[in-house]
Amino acid sequence: MKLRLAPLCALILISAAIGTITIPATLRAATDTSAPKVKLDTSLMGPRAIEDITHKNIIRDYGLAWQTMARALAENQRDLLENGYLVGFAKERLTQALEDQVKIGVRVSYSHGVHNLQGIFYSPDGSAMELRDTAQVHIQVLDGNRVVHNEQATLRFIVLMTPGADRWQVRYLQAVP
Amino acid sequence: MSRLPLVVLIATVALLAMGLVRPTQLGTTVGLASGSALPGMLHASTTPEDAVRSLFDDVRRRDFNRAYSQVANSSDVALAAFTRDLTGTHGSLKTYSGLESFETQLMHATDDDALVRVRLHWATAVGAIYEMRDLKVVREGQTWKVVWPAPSEPKVPPQVVPVTYLRWDVINRGPEDDWGTQNVDAPRVRIISMSAADNRNGVVVLGEIVNEDTVPAFVDVNATLLDAQGNPLAQESSFDKISHTLLPAGVSPYRIDFPGMKLDRVKSVRMDAKALLVPASADPVIAILNQRLDTAPQGKQVLRGELVNQSGQVVNISQVLATYYDNNGKVIWVSSGYVDQALLPQMPQPFQLEIPEDIAARVQTYRVVVNHYNSGQS
Amino acid sequence: MRKLPFTFLLLIFGGVGVANPAELRVPPMVTAGNTFSIATSGRGEADFYLVGPGHVARQKIRLGEEIRIAGTDVRISGRYLAILRSAEGNTSAAFFVSAETPASLSFLAHPSRVPVGESQGIGAVAFPLDKFRNLVLQPVDVRFELQAKDAPPVSLVVQTKSGVAWTPMDSSRKAGVALLTAAVNGFRSTRVIQQVAATPCGLRVKAQRTARGLLVETDPVRDCLGNPVPDGTIVSFTIIGRKGKSTVDAPIKRGVASTQIPDPGAASISVASSVVIGNEIRVGEGQ
Repeated sequence: MKLRLAPLCALILISAAIGTITIPATLRAATDTSAPKVKLDTSLMGPRAIEDITHKNIIRDYGLAWQTMARALAENQRDLLENGYLVGFAKERLTQALEDQVKIGVRVSYSHGVHNLQGIFYSPDGSAMELRDTAQVHIQVLDGNRVVHNEQATLRFIVLMTPGADRWQVRYLQAVP
Repeated sequence: MSRLPLVVLIATVALLAMGLVRPTQLGTTVGLASGSALPGMLHASTTPEDAVRSLFDDVRRRDFNRAYSQVANSSDVALAAFTRDLTGTHGSLKTYSGLESFETQLMHATDDDALVRVRLHWATAVGAIYEMRDLKVVREGQTWKVVWPAPSEPKVPPQVVPVTYLRWDVINRGPEDDWGTQNVDAPRVRIISMSAADNRNGVVVLGEIVNEDTVPAFVDVNATLLDAQGNPLAQESSFDKISHTLLPAGVSPYRIDFPGMKLDRVKSVRMDAKALLVPASADPVIAILNQRLDTAPQGKQVLRGELVNQSGQVVNISQVLATYYDNNGKVIWVSSGYVDQALLPQMPQPFQLEIPEDIAARVQTYRVVVNHYNSGQS
Repeated sequence: MRKLPFTFLLLIFGGVGVANPAELRVPPMVTAGNTFSIATSGRGEADFYLVGPGHVARQKIRLGEEIRIAGTDVRISGRYLAILRSAEGNTSAAFFVSAETPASLSFLAHPSRVPVGESQGIGAVAFPLDKFRNLVLQPVDVRFELQAKDAPPVSLVVQTKSGVAWTPMDSSRKAGVALLTAAVNGFRSTRVIQQVAATPCGLRVKAQRTARGLLVETDPVRDCLGNPVPDGTIVSFTIIGRKGKSTVDAPIKRGVASTQIPDPGAASISVASSVVIGNEIRVGEGQ
């Protein structure tokens, strides 16, 4: 059999082209660590009416909490959690996850589209707020430099936020079906 | 051999000779006010104003011995009393002050005596304080000297004053306590009135705030001026134009100044009253007696009165805050002033607050409160 | 020549991988702290990753065998990823962990001081938690009870929605300490609420001349429900005489506010506290 070089070269080139496009796309870690876009709908929230300034601050601080979480998980940096956007249960759990990650050499990367927050409960004294978040999230799990999981998903979260000295803090964050 | 030493010697001799032969062309000593002598040398005041200026120049330099030498009635006024009169006592505001400048004005004069008005500008820890004194000046031979008014130093009679007023202490929850753990709430305060007005310096926001709680509050009031689009134009605090420590049911005025702002740019005002739970004492009680509107010698409208410290402890620094209302009961001005003398127990201490001309015409009634600060106490 | 199309296909898809990866079968929902198993298919060895909120683990497994997941690995509620990485490729499946039954709660009671007789003056909010401190999102009943001195207890049951139960309650008519309790599944949490006298009501002032001047004092100061107003509350006296107006802000001591000032002569005397104004009296010269 005489191999024809031209078709063979074409095949090699096409394979290389496909590989060039697809492999870096999958290996590109989802390390978008900018603050995500957040929208907040408070039409169903009560019993306390949300103040305009609180509305703005929730949007800002929830986005910064997610940014903190994404950076901490992507870089395995516990110190980043000391910025005060995550407290209580949320911070404890994230800290534990980071410790486990460092121990076994795994990283979890998040990049996100829009977070659509729906207000559920705002306590009468203004000291606690519960929200539901529906978010488009891209998750990657890396073992060293190998991508072991790559996923684009719509996730739902129950969120508890409480007011701190100069910001609202995420105290509880749980994904729900 | 070098000729340098010889040249230096000749030059020195020549300069010395010039200094001795040619008189100085300076008639007065440079660096000192005209008419004053070098420090250490007594100056003979040749006019009544000169005598007063000389005395207060020495006060400004804190050379009280030298200033005292300008006093005519030293047999009636001891040096210590003279010095205390000018430097203050009992940790008062005066003890933290220095004479910044002064102006003199001859009111009237004869060949042997005169009356000189001096306006004193004291720089203090809380800003400028202005004082006016009318001093009699007499001629003794060729010089004029100041007749210093004998300072009336009140003598507090020895007595025992029991302290029976309430004191509040605060214990907060710890930083490690779980979310939701019992804690003490911040005091409930409420702004009961607010109005914004133009004045010659800018915009002012005035009103009153009440502590509606049963615990003491440390209060502060901030205001943000907003334009028609809701964007902030400026934000300021009441700073010291408020009685910060409010006991339960206490009412304080507040005034927030926005220099250089115009009211026609302002669409709305966002108010923010902050209250912290703080330890406090209900003592001392300070009575404000004999308040009256009056006209000062310069023709300005003033609010006068006397403060009486009804406790047994000295009040080092006190601040008077006055709220003025029009005939609708609306707050139209809040003024404040510090008293530079300490409030001794049971001893009346006069105060005087200037009222702006445009406000004085509209004042129907007023209310005065007193802030106090004691050194060494929280 | 016939081998060329096959070679072509092999080259095109070779980089992507043709062999079937192993499979995972996970239960859709697991209760926190419960041990369970994940079935796998395939042959050979693989790396198994469990990635969840608060926990990440990796272990070597044999494909085709069940992977036992300990309860300690799934203590925290949320979404978990089970991932297999083998020579045949990667596969993953997601499952959720939900909270156990409530074992405690986070209880917010506000305010710590409330005026008496205030309708809906007290707010009680409870978040039930399981023993791993997961928020229990299934509806559960929370009992709130307010027990004040000399008053019958007020109790009501509220079902949680999305993990929170809340209710407003009225403060009682008598000043004093009240205990506010929230209970779920036998667990109770208590907060202390100080019910304090409301604003003074019916302020009355009287005056008498003494050797030292004029003694001005109030009747015992109470609120409209008869509770004594706490000591330390400021009462403002205003005395208008011939020398001008005198004012004294005096705190209540043992239920009464008083002050002594130099005799003003004939004067009118009024009293106020907070925004409440009392009566006005007149004293004559030397009266």
